[in-house]
Amino acid sequence: MVHDDADGGAPAVRADRLGRRYGRVWGLRDCTVEVPAGAIVGLIGPNGAGKTTLLEMIIGLLEPTEGEVSIFGTTSRARPAARLARVGYLAQDHPLYRDFSVADMFHLGRAMNPSWDEGLAQARMEALGIPLKRKVKTLSGGQQAQVALTMALAKRAPLLVLDEPVSSLDPVARLEFMRDLMASVAGTGLTVVIASHVVSELERLCDWLIVLTGGQVQVAGPADDLIAAHVLLTVPRATPDAELPGLPVHRTDSDRHSTVLVRIDPARPAAQQRPGWQADLAGFEQLVLAYLQRRPQIAAGYDTALTATEVTR
Amino acid sequence: MIWVSWRQHRSQAIACLGVLAALAIYAILLGTSMRTAFSHDGLAACLARSQVNSCQNAVGAFTGEFGSAVNIAFYSVLLIAPGLLGVIIGAPLIASELEYGTWRLAWSQTIPRTRWLAVKLALVTGGLIVLGAAMTAVITWYRAPMDRLTGHFLQNIYDYEGLVLTAYILCAFGFAVLAGLLIRRSIPAMIVAFIPWLAIRLVAEFLFRSHFLAPVTLIQNCAGLCVESGQNGGTGISAVPPATGHIGDWVLSIGGNAQGTQTVITYQPADRFWIFQSIEAGIFVALTAAALGAAIWLLHRRPA
Repeated sequence: MVHDDADGGAPAVRADRLGRRYGRVWGLRDCTVEVPAGAIVGLIGPNGAGKTTLLEMIIGLLEPTEGEVSIFGTTSRARPAARLARVGYLAQDHPLYRDFSVADMFHLGRAMNPSWDEGLAQARMEALGIPLKRKVKTLSGGQQAQVALTMALAKRAPLLVLDEPVSSLDPVARLEFMRDLMASVAGTGLTVVIASHVVSELERLCDWLIVLTGGQVQVAGPADDLIAAHVLLTVPRATPDAELPGLPVHRTDSDRHSTVLVRIDPARPAAQQRPGWQADLAGFEQLVLAYLQRRPQIAAGYDTALTATEVTR
Repeated sequence: MIWVSWRQHRSQAIACLGVLAALAIYAILLGTSMRTAFSHDGLAACLARSQVNSCQNAVGAFTGEFGSAVNIAFYSVLLIAPGLLGVIIGAPLIASELEYGTWRLAWSQTIPRTRWLAVKLALVTGGLIVLGAAMTAVITWYRAPMDRLTGHFLQNIYDYEGLVLTAYILCAFGFAVLAGLLIRRSIPAMIVAFIPWLAIRLVAEFLFRSHFLAPVTLIQNCAGLCVESGQNGGTGISAVPPATGHIGDWVLSIGGNAQGTQTVITYQPADRFWIFQSIEAGIFVALTAAALGAAIWLLHRRPA
């Protein structure tokens, strides 16, 4: 992966105790994450978890209530134009002006972005078979998503933020969109953050992971490191949590056995494994689902133990 | 950005040209017949002689023919038209972006949202000034014969000739832009902006306007009858000739002293027309600037 060194090695996204309150309810709280440049980040969480809140604060559409967020070292209070130039954003439901033609949308992109790459925009439309003269409202949902993605890509910003890019698309369009996205960002050095509530969509694309539930980051880090740091244990049902070789993230009890996803504690010897226990590698999806299913009281109890920085080192 | 603003407001601009064309057609039809009648009745010669009494019948016939059409149907529409025009164009300017979610697209481009708004407002405001000036020109042209008999300082006439028509449109526009940002929905924003606009518009006309400058007081010595003869003063077209003896004066009150030997007339002289226009237009332009300034400031500081 080619990393963008033009920014002096500053992380692509850095959130420091970031929080946002809506009236009396916190949409996101105490979010501390550091995403390296070049990462393809899956931001996973159920609807209402605070994904859009986090993304809008990253872009600068939303002011944090507390904490700070910076992209490539530029903080949220810096000049808006300098910040906006560095991030391409595809909002949820891919908003476009419905009575504009595709060419009009690109004209807008050119007019509003000094770094606009018209060649890239037109080449993408040609490759996708979307005529420039067509009005946006006559395009299918998948085509509209592609036009919106092209708007974000042609801005030539080093950070690309996609909010639920495929949630409104049918299965075939989803597949095509994700395939095209993968081809478009591969080898470019772009940092990409994709929010989704569907885990399977992200597995092949993402090498970095943030799980968000109830406005709080449950786990964050490089996907491979996270997978290596967890084990899926099948143990006798009666086994107490204290005997497990680490922190139980999620536990499913059946008649005789319990399946527990455990975050391995390096302080406890690996030899703790006992007869009758079965250890498996946790997959991407199992890992994410385990964190998504953590019960709130457990999450609260272990929050400090599982901050993102600890996992990412 | 100029192109973006033009592309987004193109259909509104075309619709406004349509409204202007309809107004112009109406004005040409009525204005032409008014001109024909004006010269046919010999009213110009009449006015030149300045022996106004000798023309009473001719003037009466002319105002009878055109006065009602000019005053009632046309002006009741024109009372609310500037407000409607302003709110219809102003309310969706920000609210439609919020309604359709396109604000996330518009405000995440490299050009910051305050500049986005400032350019849009500058261009649309400019367009509305051109539209207001054109409407004023059309109305002034078509009413010209009537104005020679009545002046243009009277209520209903004053409102559409000069500067205030444009200022009314701008004020409604400014209110609606701000309401659109606050309410986030176009149609409710139109209603919420229109009501205070109409209230201010009517208060300015009926409470404030006559006090912009201190009125002139005229005392006529006469023997009782003059009060009756001057009674028609200041009530619109029937004020030909007005009690002050000068066409176009805006007569505010006519009263007699206790003995009935004097008539006291207060009025605003006709030559104050442009001063009054400037004062009233200034008030509405200031309100517009306050509303649009607030919108830009709120968008800059917008929490969500």
